[in-house]
Amino acid sequence: MNTISRRHFLKLAGAATALAATPTFLKAQNLSGRVVVVGGGFAGATLAKYLRLWGGGVAVTLVDANPAHISCILSNLVLSNSLNLSQITFNYESLKQLGVNFVQGRATGIEKPNNTTWRVQIAGRTPLDCEHVVLAPGIDFQPITGWVASQVPHAWEAGAQTTLLKQQLQAMPAGGLFIMTIPPKPYRCPPGPYERACVVADYLKRTKPGSKVIILDANPGIVAEAETFTKAFTQTHAGVIEYHPNVALLAVDSNQRIAKTNIGDFKADVLNVIAPQKAGGIVTSAGLTTDGRWAPVNPLNYESTIPGMSGIHIIGDSQGTGQPKSGHIANAEAKVCADAILRAFAGEAPDPAPMTNSACYSPITANTASWLTAVYAYNPATKTMDLVPASFGEAASPTKDNYEDMFDWAANLFADTFA
Amino acid sequence: MNANPRALAMLLSGLIPAILLTAEAAPPPGRLLASQCAQCHGTNGRSVGDIDSLSGESAREIYEEMLEMKYSTNTNDIMHRQARGYSDAQIRLIADYYGSLNSGGGSGGGDDGEHDDD
Repeated sequence: MNTISRRHFLKLAGAATALAATPTFLKAQNLSGRVVVVGGGFAGATLAKYLRLWGGGVAVTLVDANPAHISCILSNLVLSNSLNLSQITFNYESLKQLGVNFVQGRATGIEKPNNTTWRVQIAGRTPLDCEHVVLAPGIDFQPITGWVASQVPHAWEAGAQTTLLKQQLQAMPAGGLFIMTIPPKPYRCPPGPYERACVVADYLKRTKPGSKVIILDANPGIVAEAETFTKAFTQTHAGVIEYHPNVALLAVDSNQRIAKTNIGDFKADVLNVIAPQKAGGIVTSAGLTTDGRWAPVNPLNYESTIPGMSGIHIIGDSQGTGQPKSGHIANAEAKVCADAILRAFAGEAPDPAPMTNSACYSPITANTASWLTAVYAYNPATKTMDLVPASFGEAASPTKDNYEDMFDWAANLFADTFA
Repeated sequence: MNANPRALAMLLSGLIPAILLTAEAAPPPGRLLASQCAQCHGTNGRSVGDIDSLSGESAREIYEEMLEMKYSTNTNDIMHRQARGYSDAQIRLIADYYGSLNSGGGSGGGDDGEHDDD
């Protein structure tokens, strides 16, 4: 594990705040305007950064309830003690150096005081006026009867939940039973739950012999990297991981750690409920969803397509274009949105042919990983972001090289977003 | 954020390629496309890890390497898959954008080696 790449990553992660991006030398001249960004994860932080990088005169305020963002990417490795949370925690100091105004606070609502201005309400603070609001609040969970996340963690937002699940796993006896539930798609990070099953299985094999992992998946089959994970479940982790598709989670007994499903009750030593998901709270409360789950947007600029909402953009996991919900794609969407907002300030139309892409690495054991990649292109006929089929693929097999590449990928993604 | 004195000098001496000097706020062609490489290759192509920097490579080098990967038969190469997502014309725009950053004073990664993704 003490490889060059790994050391690189750890060093880079620690130094991330010092890695302020060198400015591009040509600013968009004479541009001015105000943007308020709600949510400082991969989508919101990238948006704030690139607005400043590309549009010198634009005033950018980033609002987040927390002083730093803890990355879901690589957070499964915290469960297995391969990383600490501090190594995937990113503050906003570099963004401030780029001229981003960071406000720690909770955005509670959006108003429209006049035709050209939006007003973002912040709990206990002066409201913020702007021409463009960008909402990047990530996900919220849909309620499940009896489910209490402080007892039965989701660990699908990194931080205290990750620590709770890690502590529960550490306290689990050898020969114990770890059960996880996977929600119907779409949910944050398509390969993530299967990756977690592998990482936890590998950890339990080493530290808690005889333990088992049971996956209760609401979907009819493995949602991402089906070949890789089928092999991982039936060969690499055979006898440890048991996979059940088409399982509907009906209720949870949080005290007894029982998942009640359409195929019966499952009692766990450690229960991990990755609950069904929807757009982050402010997106729903501001009336930006049509189905109560995700926000419909124009993928040319991520502006809400709901009448009367022009000037409000939704990026990252909350938006409803159908692109996979992941930190890497959130970063990609943010750049398209930033470019479009700067063009709007200049009185121009958005780029008519935006592209986004996904690349991600998933650990399968403590020293091997797979990858998944895809490119999305705007389809003017359907006004959607469509997968370019030739670009879509997964690694032929999990390898040690991929495991090292994973840290290099993450280091650049983290730096491109937060540094 | 600091100004880049070298870039400023280049700008004043007229050495910046014409595509970067389009009027008012029109963004340089290829900038948005090229920014989609940055998740893995670093902001403005300056990688912070072992993945190749694009900064420091010429437009021609980037274009030729991308086409080589796109038309290779190595399906177990993540860059083969990525390159197949873009038209040759889009790859040209991306390459020209990074190439223009180099000639405009973009720093770092000038001695990066061969493509090495697997």
